[in-house]
Amino acid sequence: MFNPIIFNEDVCTGCNICVDVCLMEILAPNPEKGRPPLVKYPDECAYDGACWMQCPQREKGAIKIVPPLPMRVSILRGEKL
Amino acid sequence: MNSVIEVVQVDTDVLIIGGGLAGCMAGIKASESGVKVTITEKANTLSSGCAGTGVDHSWAYIPMIHEQMGWTMEDLIEDHARLIARGFINKELLRLVARENYDRMLDLEKFGVKIRYEDSKIPGKFRIVYQFHTMPSSFNFDGHDLKIRLTREARKRGVGIINRVMMVALLLADGQIAGALGIGTNDGKLYSFRAKAVVMSTGRANRLTPNVTGIWGNHRIPVNETGDGRAMAFRAGIPVINMEFLSSGYYSIGNYELNLGSPRNTVQPAAAVTDADGEVIVPRTRFYDWPNLGKEKVDAALNRQNMLSGGRNARPPYAQLYRQGQGPFYLDLTGGTEEEIKYIEWSISNEGKGSLFLDYLKNQEGFDFRRDKLEWLPNSREMAGTAASGLVVDNGLETEVKGLFGAGDDVGGVPWAGAPGAFTMGWRAGERAAREAGAQKNHLPVDTKPVESLKETCSGMLTSQKGLHWREVELAVQNAVDYYAGDVRAEKTLGRGLERLKDIKKNASFKAENPHELMRCLEVQSIIDNAEMVLAASLERQESRRVPFGFYRADFPEQDDKEWLAFLALKKKEGKFEFSRVPIKP
Repeated sequence: MFNPIIFNEDVCTGCNICVDVCLMEILAPNPEKGRPPLVKYPDECAYDGACWMQCPQREKGAIKIVPPLPMRVSILRGEKL
Repeated sequence: MNSVIEVVQVDTDVLIIGGGLAGCMAGIKASESGVKVTITEKANTLSSGCAGTGVDHSWAYIPMIHEQMGWTMEDLIEDHARLIARGFINKELLRLVARENYDRMLDLEKFGVKIRYEDSKIPGKFRIVYQFHTMPSSFNFDGHDLKIRLTREARKRGVGIINRVMMVALLLADGQIAGALGIGTNDGKLYSFRAKAVVMSTGRANRLTPNVTGIWGNHRIPVNETGDGRAMAFRAGIPVINMEFLSSGYYSIGNYELNLGSPRNTVQPAAAVTDADGEVIVPRTRFYDWPNLGKEKVDAALNRQNMLSGGRNARPPYAQLYRQGQGPFYLDLTGGTEEEIKYIEWSISNEGKGSLFLDYLKNQEGFDFRRDKLEWLPNSREMAGTAASGLVVDNGLETEVKGLFGAGDDVGGVPWAGAPGAFTMGWRAGERAAREAGAQKNHLPVDTKPVESLKETCSGMLTSQKGLHWREVELAVQNAVDYYAGDVRAEKTLGRGLERLKDIKKNASFKAENPHELMRCLEVQSIIDNAEMVLAASLERQESRRVPFGFYRADFPEQDDKEWLAFLALKKKEGKFEFSRVPIKP
């Protein structure tokens, strides 16, 4: 239903640390070594960000968390500073 | 059919159920006495519990600072007991938290957590902000990787950590703890532990009502905390208190539920709540005047009086204001200075989901605290007062079952103990459990029946053809709790709620495709047990106690301190509820 976690195939090394630390156990290692994990249970994501925080390739953009539409915050935009 | 479940036998001296803050602290402390210590964790201790992805604040009595203010330990205790708990608190346990959390903060520093800052003007180079009390009492610190550091420390000390095991049953022998049973959430094996002492630290009871956004995993507190500790106690006939206090949803940052609720703590200083016209609903906060620390002594009693009289309410009844046509409400930091905004962003990045949230806000929404405001909307319901509900323990954190200790949010009676409660109670429970285990020569003999029964339950779910998906059952339970134990409760509807729950249980035969789904089914069983406790306890408490728990009985609308200033303990004996009142000492 949702697509909460997006891996960048070009950056992710398939180390599977995110699989290990996932609070909700929603990730599984890719059967093909070196490739990004599979998001097995996307609608059980808790959006806590453990996978993202502990990703060794985070700074390079290996992993991105996208909150689904109903979770996106409601913003009152101010004037440009 | 039973043969599909393999049994793994583990013997340990101290078994710690749940490796969050409390469990890790218990393990670290227990290891000092040389006994064998094992932590079991449903997820992974590197990321689990309420502080799994961080905690940025922790209140404590800090002698070197508070003595200069003329604010005593008793003042902190009185502030917490009166302002936060309205007298509805176990003061001896509160005293333990208040007395010991400063030392635990210094322990965290030894484990590599940064708690001092070169730019700080505060003694000790700490960062201290207002939270619950009349004086600033909460450390702000670099807690985003706290669980990684605690896990490392525990491993360094030889604590065994078994991740991905969900515990479901306690094993007792002659009124004494003998072990516990769990299921591997990944390997599907049955873990049978024999232990001389057990610390229960599984955290809070979540997922009792549907989520307001409809995103299943979107809760303020971890969604895999399903009150497993309370459920295990309930199944073993051990009393649990305060289960009636399931609160109505409160207002916080809308949609993305996270721990940035009150304008105090994480968004302090500079946070205000304003309405659409910019009218101030809650005024902005400030840093304490640190350069003048010690120049003026506080009158704590007078401050408390002022706060209680409502002049400085940090959490107005937003829902009521909304019904009166007010709102929308916004978290408004636009009046903050550059220094204040930077401080708040640092604070958010250390608190819970805050690190990811901040990244999302900036990079996906292009949000800027200097310019934009975040709408304040209702959050999902949760058990009120964090550690208000839980096990009944003595001053040494032992339950009525010899050798079974409680820690952190699994201990009832200390509303808003939070992280300080986890640090201090975990430490003390670990110490006590190790002593208890050290004094016991052999493991107690355990009955094999519970193992066989759990095997049968699990293999039944794994081989079922026509059982229900766990979500179907979960939603049915949540809807019943939401309706019958919602904002308004009454005898007849609560009675009906219990009947409905019985009916749901009768129809709830589960089907699991694999160990992961088996875990979810077992979680829903915890939720069912917790829901039953919520409904039964709500029916038994014949009064209303709106502040601080939001408990309202339409048929008993008044607060009745004469009869009900007491914790309501419930337990199950031979299929029936037994209630008792645990007096609250002033």
